[in-house]
Amino acid sequence: MTPLEILVASITGQPAPRVPVFCNFLDYGPRELNMSPKEYFSRGEYMAEGQLKLLKRYGHDNAWSMSYVGIEAEILGCQEILFPKKGPPNVKDFVIKSWDDIAKLEIPADISQHPHWQTTADCLALLSDEIGSTNPICGYASSSNTLPILLMGMEKWMELVLSGPADIRDELMRKCSDFCQQQIKALRLAGAHVILYATSFGSPYFIPKKMISDWAMPWMQQDLKEGGSGIVYYCGGAPMAAAVDQAIEQLGVGVYYISPLDNLSEAKDIINTRAVTCGVIDDIKMVKWTPEQTRAEVKRLIEIGKPGGHFLFGSSLMPLELPEENIQAMIQAAFEFGSN
Amino acid sequence: MFETYIKDYNEAVMEIDKEAALEVVENALANGVIPEDIVFKIVMPAVEDMMEHVLNDLDTNLAQHFMTAQIAAEITEKMLQKFTQPPEVIGRVIIGTVFGDLHSLGKRIVMGCLKSMMVDVIDLGVNVTAEEFVNAAIEQNAQVIAVSSMMMHTATGEEGSLAVRELLKQKGLESKIKLVVGGSPYRYDNELYTQVGADSWAPDGISAAKIICDLIQEVKQS
Repeated sequence: MTPLEILVASITGQPAPRVPVFCNFLDYGPRELNMSPKEYFSRGEYMAEGQLKLLKRYGHDNAWSMSYVGIEAEILGCQEILFPKKGPPNVKDFVIKSWDDIAKLEIPADISQHPHWQTTADCLALLSDEIGSTNPICGYASSSNTLPILLMGMEKWMELVLSGPADIRDELMRKCSDFCQQQIKALRLAGAHVILYATSFGSPYFIPKKMISDWAMPWMQQDLKEGGSGIVYYCGGAPMAAAVDQAIEQLGVGVYYISPLDNLSEAKDIINTRAVTCGVIDDIKMVKWTPEQTRAEVKRLIEIGKPGGHFLFGSSLMPLELPEENIQAMIQAAFEFGSN
Repeated sequence: MFETYIKDYNEAVMEIDKEAALEVVENALANGVIPEDIVFKIVMPAVEDMMEHVLNDLDTNLAQHFMTAQIAAEITEKMLQKFTQPPEVIGRVIIGTVFGDLHSLGKRIVMGCLKSMMVDVIDLGVNVTAEEFVNAAIEQNAQVIAVSSMMMHTATGEEGSLAVRELLKQKGLESKIKLVVGGSPYRYDNELYTQVGADSWAPDGISAAKIICDLIQEVKQS
């Protein structure tokens, strides 16, 4: 079976030779091509080449079409991205500086025609040609509750959500949901099999469960009204287990990328065979582990998650400080212990 | 009656209802409660109560931490203007987000709590260099430097906490100025703070305020 078939089998509960092994080599491409992040992320060709080289080097299952999350803000008018020497680029210029800017925010009629979308489109086209029939290709979309963080900063967004005028907050949510729906559609059309749906406020770590039900959930339903196929529920690394039941019931999302801070056993019990549980390794701790410790942790996660199927092994955000021998140990162990 | 104000205020804060919390304070003032009692007997205990919740791993979330801090800071600021005598400030902190990092939420929660606990807070903003942290701490006679980082590369980078530690060492200030760190990477690896040369760390903004207060006392007693 190809890695793509193995992923589909894990989602549908069919027999497979092993669990899928997902790695998020988002920041490793520039190093692979010996380029600065700014140069690397300027062209879809570079991003595709970097992902294909990484796939060849490590032998994991998935490739990424995403450049950096700030690209969404750039499509919506962000003028400056901070490119650090090491680590992910981040938004330096907030599009929304005051609540008055929300009324002025314009969502493009078709984001797939926007110049800033082109790197993602080019990368997806190349990846689809090369590995589209064999390996899962991933894309990224911020939910309506998470995109505002990139547009105005977490602090200002939290203030608006918790104590600002509801009509202004909802106007921004409407615009961000429109953007999110367009982006999911564009990613699917361009060949992404898997879309990481980032929903920070879908985590009870951020807001009370009642607020998730009353406020975030209806907007998430709007974001995903075209269906949850290929969507992965992801709360930016924050714990989500307590919200998963509701997400399964109301969103129809089939894959949950839980936090390393969640209790995997508890999450697997809740999700069971209704969806796929992703057992995610704490790759920040992994920076200091030995290869043996890394291997032991992979074994532990897979032993919890694999029984009953509907399980996927994954990395978190893979900081560049990870020792090469630990990355190799992680992937080898995932294949070994994940095999049936 | 006073107990009712405490109960209603705590409920409003836990329900992240800012308007209700402010209304409790207005009612209390209108009924003769003095500003000093509003701060020391209602607002500050509510912050300490949230600290207890967090420390005991009870079910709290970032929204509650944020609103507890914001409401506390806002009310304290208003009440201080009405105090009959200026309150004793327990110490001074320089706070900021590390160089290369533009996240500010955690820092703001810490600041809100510290203000309500009578700590003088000087905010250097985001993208702050090690030199700016240390120079400000020396100029302002601060006991603690608090460095926030939300990303692994900014937490462990050579221009962040490690550089602050090096400067404190070079200037012989390690016993006079303590270094505390916080932010997402430290939640995943609870020993990371030692690697970046910090004296302590906090998993959230609410606990950070308590840890900073303890470090201020440590410096003052040394």
